[in-house]
Amino acid sequence: MKRRRSITREATLALILLIILVFLSLTTSFFSQSGLYSFMLDVSPTIVAAIALGMVIFTGNIDISAGTISGFVAYTAGALVKAGVPMIVFVPAAITVGTLLAGLNGFITVKFKVPSIVVTLAMNMVHIGFYATFLPQSGWIENLGPRFTWFGRGRIFDLIPYTFVVAIVVAVIAMLVMRYSRFGKELYAVGGNRQSAIYSGINPDATVMKVFLVEGFLIGISALLRAMTRNEVMPSVFVGRELFFISAALVGGISIFGGSGKIIGAVMGAALVYLLSIAMIYYGFQDYYQFALQGIIILIAVFITVADFSKIRKRFGRRTRLEVAENE
Amino acid sequence: MSNTGTKRSLSLSTVFTHQTILLLVLVALVLVFGIIEPVFFKLGVLFDVFSIIGEIGIMAMAMTYVISTAGVDLGVGYILQMSAIVFGVTWEASGNLALAIAAALLMGLAGGLFNGLIISRTRIPPLVTTLATMYLYRGISMIIAGTKTFAGFPDAFHKISTTEIFGFLPIQAVYLIVLFLVMDYFYERGSLGRNLKGMGFNENAVIFSGVNTRRIKLGIYTLLGFLCGVAALIYLGRLSAAKTSMGDYMNFEVITAVLLGGTSIMGGVGSMRGTLIGVLIIGVLKKGFTLLNFSGNIYNFTLGIILILSLIIFALEEERKKAVESEVAAT
Repeated sequence: MKRRRSITREATLALILLIILVFLSLTTSFFSQSGLYSFMLDVSPTIVAAIALGMVIFTGNIDISAGTISGFVAYTAGALVKAGVPMIVFVPAAITVGTLLAGLNGFITVKFKVPSIVVTLAMNMVHIGFYATFLPQSGWIENLGPRFTWFGRGRIFDLIPYTFVVAIVVAVIAMLVMRYSRFGKELYAVGGNRQSAIYSGINPDATVMKVFLVEGFLIGISALLRAMTRNEVMPSVFVGRELFFISAALVGGISIFGGSGKIIGAVMGAALVYLLSIAMIYYGFQDYYQFALQGIIILIAVFITVADFSKIRKRFGRRTRLEVAENE
Repeated sequence: MSNTGTKRSLSLSTVFTHQTILLLVLVALVLVFGIIEPVFFKLGVLFDVFSIIGEIGIMAMAMTYVISTAGVDLGVGYILQMSAIVFGVTWEASGNLALAIAAALLMGLAGGLFNGLIISRTRIPPLVTTLATMYLYRGISMIIAGTKTFAGFPDAFHKISTTEIFGFLPIQAVYLIVLFLVMDYFYERGSLGRNLKGMGFNENAVIFSGVNTRRIKLGIYTLLGFLCGVAALIYLGRLSAAKTSMGDYMNFEVITAVLLGGTSIMGGVGSMRGTLIGVLIIGVLKKGFTLLNFSGNIYNFTLGIILILSLIIFALEEERKKAVESEVAAT
C-alpha cells in the first residue's frame, strides 16, 4: 500500500507535467526552438536549487535565505571577473561563498538549537541589508563581457543550453548520492525520526551541518547558472527566489516534515512551477499573480502531504465492510 | 564548571533578568542616540518613537500569544498590507469612511481566520502555513491594487493616529498601553495565558487536561489577523497613501520585537512586558537611525543581526538554566 502510493506521487506529477506541456504546445508557441530553449535556460538554476532545498527539507530544516545567498554568489563571481580572474578561479570561489554562507546558517541552527526557518529568515534580512549598505553600487556590476557569459549562453545543437546539461548532471549525481551513499540515508533518517537516527549511530547535528554545506554548494552552482546568462550582476534580483525553490521542492512531493521525498520529484516540481509561470505569461496575467499562485501551490502541496486520505475516504467515499463493522 | 561559578551565575541571574537587561539596553540606546544627536532629547522627538511603533506594537502583542504556543505568523506585514489596500479601494469606491474601516478590519480578520483554520484543522505547521499565506496575501493585495496607490483620505481618519495628547504624547502610546494592559492581564492572570504557554511546552499535556487547543489556536491566529487590520488603519493614519510595499519586512520587525523581549521561539516561555520593551527598543533604533540619516537598509541589517543575537542569547540562557538545574539536582 505504502509503496504503491509513493510511486503514484511521482507518476501523477509526471502526468500533470505532460498534460500542461501538451496543452501549452497546442495553444501557444511554446513548442518551438526558442520556446524550448528559453524554458530549459530558465528552469536549470531552479532545478539545482530545488534539489538543494529538497535535501535540506529531507532533514526537516529549511533555508529561507537561499535566494539572497545566490545574490552573494553572483556578486562574487561578477567582481572577480571584473578583476580579470580566470573562470577556473572565480567559479570555485563563488561557490565557496555560497557554501560558507549556508554553512553559517547550519552552524547557528545546530549549535544553538534554534529552528532553521527563523535563523534563515533573519539571515535573509541581514543579506538584503548588506547588499545595499556595504557593496559598492548595491553590488551592481555591468559589462562583464563574454568571459562571463559564454558558458551561460552557450548551447549544444543550437538548442540545449550548457546550463541545462549541468542541471541534469547535478540531478543525476544527487539521485545516486541519495540512493547509494550513507549521507543520503542519514538525511532521511534524521528527518524521519531523530531519536531513532541517534540510536542507529547517526550524529544528527553533524548531518544537518553537512546538508547545509551541500545546500550552499548547490545554491552556488544554481546562482552561477542564472548569473552567467546575463552581462551584468545585481544581487537584489535574487531576493525572493527562494519562493520558487521551496515551492518546487514541495510540489515535487518532498514532505515539509522531513524524512520523505525524492530528488526526481524536486526536478519535476521545478519544471512544473516554471511551466505554470510560463503559462501565466502566455495567457497574459500580470507578474504579481505569481506571488498568490506560488502561495496557493505551496499550501496545496503541503496539504496533500499531510492529508489523511483514509479519513477523507471514510467521510465522503464508500466505506469498506471492515470500516462499517468497526464503527458499529 | 566549579561550584562557586554556578552560584554566582544563579545570583546574577536573579538581579539581571532578561527584562532588566532589556530596560538597561533601552536606556543606553536613548542616551547614545541623544549624545550623538542632541535633538533626540527634545520631548516631541523622543515621544515620536511611540507614533512609529504603533502598528508594530499592536501586532507584536498578539504575536506574543502566538509564539508562546510554539507557533508563528510570518505574514503579518502582508495581512496589514492587504487590509490597507482594501481600505483604500473601498474608500475610493464608496467614499464611506465607516464602510472602509469595516472592510479593512474584516479583511484582517479573514486573513487571520484562514491561517487559524488551516493551523487548527490540519497538521500543517504554522511556519509553513504562514509562509505560504504570506505569499498568498502579498499576491492578493497586489492583484487588488495593481500598480495603483490609494491616497486622499479625510482628515477625520488621520486623526486616529496623528492626535497628540497634551500636545506631545502621540495617541499611539495610549492604544499601546491599553492593549498592553488587556493582553498582559489575560497572559499573566487568566487560564488563557497558562494554556498558551502550556501548548508551547507540551501541547498533548494541555489537550489531556481537557482544554480545546484547536479553539485556542483558531482564536489567537484570528485575533492576530484582526489586530493586523487595526494596525493597518493606525499605520495608514500617519501615512499619506496605501501602497503594495507597505508590508515589506514588517514581519521581521514584529518577530524581532517579540523574540528580543524574551519570548522563546520554541514556545512555552514568554513575557508581554518583554515584548513591550522589545517594541520600544526597535522604535528607538528606528527613530535614531532616521535622525542620523541612516538608510532603511542599515536598519534592516541591524534588525536581522538583533534577531539572530536574541535567538542565540535565548538559547544560551536556556542552556545555562539547564546546567544549573542539573547541578542543583546532582547536589
